[in-house]
Amino acid sequence: MQIYKDYKDHADFLTVYVREAHPTDEWQMNSNVKEDVCYAQPKTLEQRVAIANDFVKRFNYPTPFGIDDMSNAANDAYAAWPERIYIIDEKGRIAYRGGMGPFNYHPEEARAWLASRYGEVKREASTAVPDKKNN
Amino acid sequence: MLKWIGAVVVLLILAVVIGLSVMAGSLRGAYGMVRYAFPHMHRGTLRVGDDAPDASLLALDGSSRFHIRERTGARPLVIVFGSYT
Repeated sequence: MQIYKDYKDHADFLTVYVREAHPTDEWQMNSNVKEDVCYAQPKTLEQRVAIANDFVKRFNYPTPFGIDDMSNAANDAYAAWPERIYIIDEKGRIAYRGGMGPFNYHPEEARAWLASRYGEVKREASTAVPDKKNN
Repeated sequence: MLKWIGAVVVLLILAVVIGLSVMAGSLRGAYGMVRYAFPHMHRGTLRVGDDAPDASLLALDGSSRFHIRERTGARPLVIVFGSYT
């Protein structure tokens, strides 16, 4: 997760696991089958914890991590599903509100916000394409 | 007249189905999008400058908890919401 590596000395990061976007028992994607990412929609919090841990271990995911309750309280408060990025400033206010994924999910906008405050961090060309795991 | 209205309605439905299928990659994907994605997709009401909502989250250990608000204040907090699939 390049944005974390580049700006962790300036900002805090938190990844929040919310309900699955493409589970096997709902709208499964072929790409998930190819990548062996096949999970049913969790029915219990324990199942969410297990999937979140699989994700973190598989990608050696570095940022602090939290898991939304089965009530989907965090998801509902932030209109987060299926994926979205926010930046909260030091006063506890929304400083950046990203668009709803996947079509309006643009990690480069969050990077631009951080760059405007702390300066641009040059990246290698191979890490310049943002996606869910490498933004 | 009714025949023309019926034809237009059919064409509109066909256009929507084709459009969704293109977006979702297949007819099956279009069904999945309508059945499973649309009910959970919300634009939300939060705006830049609003107080950030708080929520309790479970840690990866499956037992300890923390609040989003506990992680704010000292520095900007970048929150990334998502799932595995």
